[in-house]
Amino acid sequence: MSTMDLQEFLASEATHDRDDLVDLRALDFVSSYDSHLMCPICHCPFVEPVRLQCDHVFCYKCLQSAITIFRSADTDEFPCPSCRTPTSRVSTSVPRLLINMCDEIQVQCPLQAEGCAEVLPRGHVQSHVDKYCGYRLVPCPDDSCEKTIRKKDLQSEERCLHGYFRCSRCEEDVMEKDYEEHDEELCPSLETSCVDCGTTLPQRELKKHVDTCPDVVSPCSASKYGCPVKIRRADSAIHEQICPLVSMGPYFEAQNTRLNSLELTMRHLQQRNEIFEDGMANIRTTLLESARAGRGSNRRRSLTEDDMNPTRSEDDESAERSSNVFSSNATTYLLSLHESLREEVNQVSHALTDLDARASMTIMNECLRIKEDMAHTNAAVNSVRLQVQWLMNPRLHNGARTGGIRSNTATPGNETARSQLTSTSAPGSSSAAGSSLGPLRPRRPSDSGREGTKL
Amino acid sequence: MFASKRLGKMKEHTPPGISIAKSDNLEEWQMDIKVLDNNPLYKDQTYRLKFSFSNKYPIEPPEVQFIELPVSSDTPRPIPMHPHIYSNGIICLDLLSSSGWSPVQTCESVCMSIQSMLTANSRNERPPGDSEFVAYNRRRIRDIPFVYEDDNV
Repeated sequence: MSTMDLQEFLASEATHDRDDLVDLRALDFVSSYDSHLMCPICHCPFVEPVRLQCDHVFCYKCLQSAITIFRSADTDEFPCPSCRTPTSRVSTSVPRLLINMCDEIQVQCPLQAEGCAEVLPRGHVQSHVDKYCGYRLVPCPDDSCEKTIRKKDLQSEERCLHGYFRCSRCEEDVMEKDYEEHDEELCPSLETSCVDCGTTLPQRELKKHVDTCPDVVSPCSASKYGCPVKIRRADSAIHEQICPLVSMGPYFEAQNTRLNSLELTMRHLQQRNEIFEDGMANIRTTLLESARAGRGSNRRRSLTEDDMNPTRSEDDESAERSSNVFSSNATTYLLSLHESLREEVNQVSHALTDLDARASMTIMNECLRIKEDMAHTNAAVNSVRLQVQWLMNPRLHNGARTGGIRSNTATPGNETARSQLTSTSAPGSSSAAGSSLGPLRPRRPSDSGREGTKL
Repeated sequence: MFASKRLGKMKEHTPPGISIAKSDNLEEWQMDIKVLDNNPLYKDQTYRLKFSFSNKYPIEPPEVQFIELPVSSDTPRPIPMHPHIYSNGIICLDLLSSSGWSPVQTCESVCMSIQSMLTANSRNERPPGDSEFVAYNRRRIRDIPFVYEDDNV
């Protein structure tokens, strides 16, 4: 089965679940590995990778623990920890390539602390520990003995090695499994002699002795500057006093560092020089091109002159040469002028954009301020209008009453205005009151204007 | 547990502006973070973040908050001003809640999120209701029912 839904996935067991399984995440990796092979949850190379619908890959166990926490109970979906895409199916089929790459990462044997120095691909760790690693502790083959023993000490003999032996030399009790090591290295009675000075000493201290033995012959400390003398350590102090190279040592040292720094600056300068040379070559080619162009036009001119005046051709030759020199000088001058002008234009354009930004900023600020002012003014005008209207109302009533008597000349065009008026005027006004609108006309524009400014 | 390895990896290289101040055990880490750009609110300041890891990390989010060290100490560490950071150092960030957390987040990514949260801010203020929250909150950070209303900062 390659895909399953979340329920099945949570219920399924890792392919081999055993108590004595090596924890692949706790291994020490010998070298760094590609970060793409790393599970984003546990940050170890994938262990039994599984894949979500969105193609993100996680360790089997990491994903299981993440799902139990983050699964939403009602929809039975789970957001991918990497991209949060809702997912309901888990695929156990991941590319074989990925698994192989993870299994190929070199690791230390997990029994490193016990003494196993084996470095092996991660995929082989389990079988190494199970079958081959000599440092794995196994129960003693003797049923009556409860101790454990390293597998390599057991060798082929299927018997208990936990009995004690007495070392014949140092009179110490040593367990049988440790006896070999004791006999060869650790026994304090074991002695050896220094090759140089001939003193006998316990084997364990030989290493320390060699570092300090006065009879060890070593080269003079100035050997790297050419002193050929090899001398015993005890006499080296005397030699160093008379050896000219030793006394010169600090000086050589200082010279060496100076040389090194000089070499470094040399290299820098060389690089800079190359850059300059390149630049020069560029300039020269552009100059040549322009000069050729100039000469071409000269030649054409001189040719036309030659036609008219053949005798002057020699003069022209020299004139042309001098004009060439002149023109190359002129082109350099023009080029530099052009360059400086271009720079100036650049500066000006910079300044221009700067100014532009500043100006637009100030304009915007001013605009804001003015808009605010306008709003204030509008409000004030409105309030004034309201007041005026309120003040006008009684007068309107009066006017209407008198107007009603005076005439009845309302045209159809005024009909709409009248209805507007009656709707805005006080409810007490009678329907007959609006029959004449002659004196009221000035109010209409302001009335409609008010509706326009209403926000 | 492998979480220890995961944390150990961070010691090898930390992102710019972030350094480890204290990491002697695996339950609590302290990080110093700096805001790298010229935000006037946080310029030339260093802040101390405290990470508390449960044993279920990284499946569960760590508890992260700013802590304050007094000005008189060798390394004074204030609590940064931010509309999502209470004055007791508690940070309102959905990334750190149980629902917003994802196990692919790391100590580094959390630090960088907080760094960018500071960088993007220009308001010199505390969250609304700061004083009451600081005075009365006794809950654990993870259980506080934050409302993540503001996605701008």
